[in-house]
Amino acid sequence: MSAAVLYGPAAWVVLLGAAASFLPRGRRLPVALGAMGLGLAPLLAGESLAMALHGAFAAPSFTLLQLALRRLLAPRSPGYLGAGSAGVLLMIALVFYPPALGLGPFDPYGLGYQPLPLLLALLPLAGWLAWRRQQGWLVILGGDLLAYAAGLFGNLWDALFDPLLVLLAAATLVAAWISRRRSGRSVAGRW
Amino acid sequence: MTAPSWAAPAFFLAGLAAALWRAPLPPEPAFLPPPAAALSPLPAEFRAELLPAAAPSAHAASLAQLPDGRIAAAWFAGSREGAADVAVWFSTLEPDDWTPPRPIARREGTARGTQSHVRKLGNPVLYAQGDRLHLWYVSAAVGGWAGSSINHALSVDGGATWSGPEKLVASPFFNISTLVRTPPVPLADGGLGLPAYHEFIGKQGEWLRLAADGRILDKVRLPSERPTLQPAVVALDPHRALAWLRDAGPGPGQVRVAATGDGGRTWEARPPLPLGNPNSSLAVLRLPSGRLLLAGNPGEGRHILALWLSEDEGRTWKAARTVETAADDGAEFSYPALLLARDGRIHLAWTWRRQGIKHAAFSEAWLLGQEP
Repeated sequence: MSAAVLYGPAAWVVLLGAAASFLPRGRRLPVALGAMGLGLAPLLAGESLAMALHGAFAAPSFTLLQLALRRLLAPRSPGYLGAGSAGVLLMIALVFYPPALGLGPFDPYGLGYQPLPLLLALLPLAGWLAWRRQQGWLVILGGDLLAYAAGLFGNLWDALFDPLLVLLAAATLVAAWISRRRSGRSVAGRW
Repeated sequence: MTAPSWAAPAFFLAGLAAALWRAPLPPEPAFLPPPAAALSPLPAEFRAELLPAAAPSAHAASLAQLPDGRIAAAWFAGSREGAADVAVWFSTLEPDDWTPPRPIARREGTARGTQSHVRKLGNPVLYAQGDRLHLWYVSAAVGGWAGSSINHALSVDGGATWSGPEKLVASPFFNISTLVRTPPVPLADGGLGLPAYHEFIGKQGEWLRLAADGRILDKVRLPSERPTLQPAVVALDPHRALAWLRDAGPGPGQVRVAATGDGGRTWEARPPLPLGNPNSSLAVLRLPSGRLLLAGNPGEGRHILALWLSEDEGRTWKAARTVETAADDGAEFSYPALLLARDGRIHLAWTWRRQGIKHAAFSEAWLLGQEP
């Protein structure tokens, strides 16, 4: 069985652990490990939860995996997915997904199979990230490219992002908006 | 301890260099040129028979010729379409009759091989390429057929044993809604052009360019004014090919057409044929004479299976033969599959009343009106 086949369920196990780590403080690691174990355990007809999620949602992008790994390994460090990066991801998704899902004659997803132009387009993005001292995102992008080079993905887009990452970005933006409204209200109350 | 400021850019550049090294740079696509036109020496002949039943419900046959000359068929069958017990079945035509069908892809094995949940199996496509026998088939984990993806397995012993299936990743949205139904077209670089289709939100034909090692190298759409499915493709020369598509739009449909002049890199819509298409699958074949043969359901239902011939590269068509017709409620003769055998015989398989698969073998002389 190839590494590309195993990547999907393995990434889902990590995502399950990262998701569980948001549960009550103090028991973060055991809960995350428990969730990862649950993801691996055969549940129904020999299929694990990770296989079920892999079947329903396909393999997560390497970007999402790296964010999940960071959440698992360095839970106290600030996350990379702030409102700014979430906004950029959401904008890319809004431009990418409608034509990729069939609106219009051009399918941008096809570009990811022979991604030379796409790879060259990442250079200015990386330059901008370096200028903004976004070291974390540079590492994530580098990791995505290495994962593509290792053959875990046949299409570069799949290494870079996926619908769940976009959903996470949308949730991050909503949370940031709610938080700003709350802080605005409390400031207004003090007046 | 913090990493030096150059570490992250250097890591990115290392990743970029590795990705550039791996990114494929294939030659411009071109079709394997079809053989020069020649008259078939076969006299008029026609025979037809039902394949042995594998399960109460059967659908969507596909044909291939094995290296030893035998004709092989694959189709899906189970208690009903979409049921968990549906498998892809395989049988070969021996001198006497078809062999008892045996399953070559099941739900459980597909789940194990792809490490992902599988709810149901669907359309298979069988294709012989040298000593390799390809099997592509669709599976869905959730929802209807629009949630399908493509699996690929390979046999190097004429279908006796098969590799574990691998999933083709052909969609950015949970890898859903890329399906196959019709056979691929060989490319000059040893790869294949695999006709596919998309059903989620919109319905449209697609074209997957596969490398000789099976990797997807490109994916493009086959444009059409109406929703379309299941392109059946024939190459006319190294650069030109035509695709005939099932009309999946509302109301009475027509056979839809798309064409490429650059080896499948881009496609354009052509005017539809003046042939009805009741939202049903088509099959097409280039005959030894250079004529094109089209199989499908004319009119408004699937109760007639007809054949048409074209002598001018698909510009005009004339009715050649009616293979099946019946007027009762259970009459469905649909999803034809065509194959040109190396001896010049034409093989046709189709869904027979959803109860089984029927096969016919005939010559071009029979198509032209001569009687056996």
